[in-house]
Amino acid sequence: MSATRSTRRAEFLAGCRDEAPLQLGVVPFGMLYGIGALAAGMPAWLAQLASAVVFAGAAQLVIVQMLTAAAGALPIGLTASLLNLRHVLYSASVADYVRHLPRRWRLLLAYLLTDEAYAVAILRYQTSSTSTADDGATATTAGMTDLRHWYFLGCGLTLWATWQLSTAAGLVFGATIPAEWDIDFAVPLTFIALLTLLLRERAGQAAALVAALGALTFATLPYKLGLVAAILLGLVAGVWAARFARDGK
Amino acid sequence: MSTAVLIGLLVAVGLVTFLYRYAMIGLFASRNLPGWLHALCRHIAPASFAALTASALFVHGGEVAIDLAAPKPWAALVAALVAWRTRSVLATIATGMAALYLLKFLL
Repeated sequence: MSATRSTRRAEFLAGCRDEAPLQLGVVPFGMLYGIGALAAGMPAWLAQLASAVVFAGAAQLVIVQMLTAAAGALPIGLTASLLNLRHVLYSASVADYVRHLPRRWRLLLAYLLTDEAYAVAILRYQTSSTSTADDGATATTAGMTDLRHWYFLGCGLTLWATWQLSTAAGLVFGATIPAEWDIDFAVPLTFIALLTLLLRERAGQAAALVAALGALTFATLPYKLGLVAAILLGLVAGVWAARFARDGK
Repeated sequence: MSTAVLIGLLVAVGLVTFLYRYAMIGLFASRNLPGWLHALCRHIAPASFAALTASALFVHGGEVAIDLAAPKPWAALVAALVAWRTRSVLATIATGMAALYLLKFLL
């Protein structure tokens, strides 16, 4: 039915359009990842592949930083896996909206479920119950005309394309930067910037402080496993501080 | 780390990440996550970034080395002040790198 097809296209393009403004913030991170990956000694092709396989900016920056610190594969894997755990929350959040879709759709949308795509797509799901049919058609009960997954796909693919291209740009640009420029220092600087954005509540501050002190306390553990211990200790401190603050009120 | 191990690591992290993303959409019927998972996830990013930053600034070759003549901790301090005032990631990186170059030139 051509009306459905045009609505699909409209949903998809609306997703691309609404996702577009976020790309301004994504490009520097993608480039920084590419530059940092080269500085950390990753082969360019593998750094690019990681952007497709892992497809999670913060985790990829953490992997780069831990490679720079000569950490072992196990602590890097544990830390990156822990950092990405939040995606389970996103998955649960969109589950009710996509559960009716065929498996191939759910596999595809799961792969594209990043912070930025989630942020835009969930807004569409929560603020509308029907599709954006421009002829004013209303959704039927069977969900047959619920085409919002095309919007989700538009968000996800837009972000995916930006992430791959900005990674590539970073790899090309990074190859021209001499090693003595200490460009790898930009990665911890990014963590500092993100930390100040994240540390609004006391519990988060406790988690960060304990994790930082833990990183120094356990510095001598082999393969940088001390970093994992420090982060876990920081989590305990954060959860405990949150409970303490709640009980204190 | 050898390239083969690195490939294995990246594939493993990619697989775990995909399973997280697919978990509640395709693997588990229940949509109710325990409350502690939400609480935990809120602190993972700050704890990770703080541990990695502290390690980058003060750990060298598995030893803690707090060197007040080293330029990086001071450049990081300048960056932290800029981050706190501007809340801009780009401004933080730019001033942090500029401070590092200046301090390396001076010290």
